[in-house]
Amino acid sequence: MSTTQQTPGPVPTLDISQTAPVPFSRLVRVEWRKMLDTRGGLWLMIATAILLVITVGLVLLVVALNDDPIEIGAAGFSQILTIPLSLLLPVFPILSVTSEWGQRTGLVTFTLEPNRVRVLLAKVASVVLLAMATIVVALVLGALGNVVAAAMDGTDVVWDLDLRTLVLTIVLQLLYFLMAFGIGTVFLSSPASIAVFYVVALLLPLLVYSTLYAIFDWAQDIIPWIDLQYAMGPLLDPDDDATTMDGLRVVVTVLIWIVTPLVIGTRRVLASEPK
Amino acid sequence: MISVEGLTKRYGAFTAVDDVSFVAQPGRVTGFLGPNGAGKTTTMRIMVGLTPETQGRVTIGGHLYRDIPNPGLHVGVLLDASAQHAGRTGREILTLGATTMGLPSSRVDEMLELVSLSPAESRRRLRNYSLGMRQRLGIAHALLGDPSVLILDEPANGLDPAGIRWMRGLLRGYAERGGTVLLSSHLLHEVEQIADEMILIGRGKIVAQGDKKSLLDHGQAASSLVTSLDNQKLAAALSAKQYSVAVAGDGLRVGAEPVEVGRTALEQGIVLSDLRSGAAGLEDLFLELTSDTQREGHPAAATQQGAIA
Ligand SMILES: Nc1ncnc2c1ncn2[C@@H]1O[C@H](COP(=O)(O)OP(=O)(O)O)[C@@H](O)[C@H]1O
Ligand SMILES: [Mg+2]
Repeated sequence: MSTTQQTPGPVPTLDISQTAPVPFSRLVRVEWRKMLDTRGGLWLMIATAILLVITVGLVLLVVALNDDPIEIGAAGFSQILTIPLSLLLPVFPILSVTSEWGQRTGLVTFTLEPNRVRVLLAKVASVVLLAMATIVVALVLGALGNVVAAAMDGTDVVWDLDLRTLVLTIVLQLLYFLMAFGIGTVFLSSPASIAVFYVVALLLPLLVYSTLYAIFDWAQDIIPWIDLQYAMGPLLDPDDDATTMDGLRVVVTVLIWIVTPLVIGTRRVLASEPK
Repeated sequence: MISVEGLTKRYGAFTAVDDVSFVAQPGRVTGFLGPNGAGKTTTMRIMVGLTPETQGRVTIGGHLYRDIPNPGLHVGVLLDASAQHAGRTGREILTLGATTMGLPSSRVDEMLELVSLSPAESRRRLRNYSLGMRQRLGIAHALLGDPSVLILDEPANGLDPAGIRWMRGLLRGYAERGGTVLLSSHLLHEVEQIADEMILIGRGKIVAQGDKKSLLDHGQAASSLVTSLDNQKLAAALSAKQYSVAVAGDGLRVGAEPVEVGRTALEQGIVLSDLRSGAAGLEDLFLELTSDTQREGHPAAATQQGAIA
């Protein structure tokens, strides 16, 4: 138990020289497992899979019902399939953080790895892996859909998905995941974080920004600087030549919605006393 | 071994832990005893780095907790058995811990067996666990990494009498093999029989520490409980001899050995119907030491009730 090294006084010491720290890869594996090993996680996964399949099904239905050939192509499919992916999956990065407080598992997590920054980084890594894994699944589904759609129309299969668009689509998905993660660290509460994320990422762009944009001139100046989706627009459009200004807008929205919450949230996590 | 040195924790103006120092030695079970809100949990949370201290420090085997690599292999911690994801199965909870520590899954089965959770029970989700089952699971979790130090906050809470006896045996054996065990409780009888050392804490302050015998000897004044056919007269006679006298139920509590009370009764010709030692047990001592420290008075129970003479 304790060794007979030189000890100052009669104080029994703990020999820790033979113990390695918990490897980062193991922390990532544990965090990955924690996302999927509850009923909640399982159902979120199943629901996302169902959404993906339904989306492909709907697209194929449209192709089938239309008399004229519709060329959707790989690019079209990949664009459509980001919608089911972005609907439910951001809940994973949120819960990965907030359940440590809501379900109070942080007591154990931060006792087994007292370095909370390492735990947070392992969570980010597992969340990024999840995003990548689901994108791969969606790409495979999209490719299948593409082949089937072409066969139904009797046209040649169009593989028009260029690398740049693919990479940027993945980056956008990852940015939303990080935004969800950051919001989770700021609130450390599942309901609050989920509500705030969906308002910012879905409700505001869909209902508020679009309305303001249509009515007010000033909104047209401001919204590109505060809405991530809008700011990413020019970069995602293969026909559009993105300007430096466009790049700057992306940087600003990322600062607002991803960097700032992550900085504030990390400080909160470090200062918090998980009870 | 655990060494707490001048530990203080303040929440605003409120001092939850006030200059606490003690040592938990290897090979011994140290009971950390105090009423609700005394500061036991806060002290233990500071030990494992969940709560930052205001002053002082805690070392475990000479190290700060945060400096211990893969701490689960060295220090087993159970702070709150219910602080686990309600939607995870017991087995999954242990598997996560074992994976973090780098242990084989066979270790999970061993621990489940050790704490008598059946395979069927281990596949249930935590929300369907009774408090006692959670407590067993929590103990299993703390023991996963075969640590040499155990820190358990109210581990007997929710266990049935058989469970408490089982835990007592478990921790006894653990200490006999050289482990350091620190366990807290707000119930004396839970730790009385198992702890070699006791640390009594009240309102954030250590009020007494030592083994059971030295605690009982400490500050223990002679005391008797007596009932007679003329309590009034007996009380007056005892008071005249400068003994403290107080009404206790049908009789009196006297700050004197029973032999002195008997002698006084004999001198006065009073018939006694009951006379026994009123020496405070550990329970009384516990209540006494941890009761309102502001109160005037003396640790012995004799002055508790209004004197009649
Ligand atoms: N975060 C906190 N803010 C303010 N007071 C706290 C906080 N945590 C604990 N306390 C107070 O500190 C005291 C000690 O609590 P605790 O250590 O849980 O006692 P015990 O475990 O002995 O019952 C209690 O009065 C409690 O209300
Ligand atoms: Mg407590």
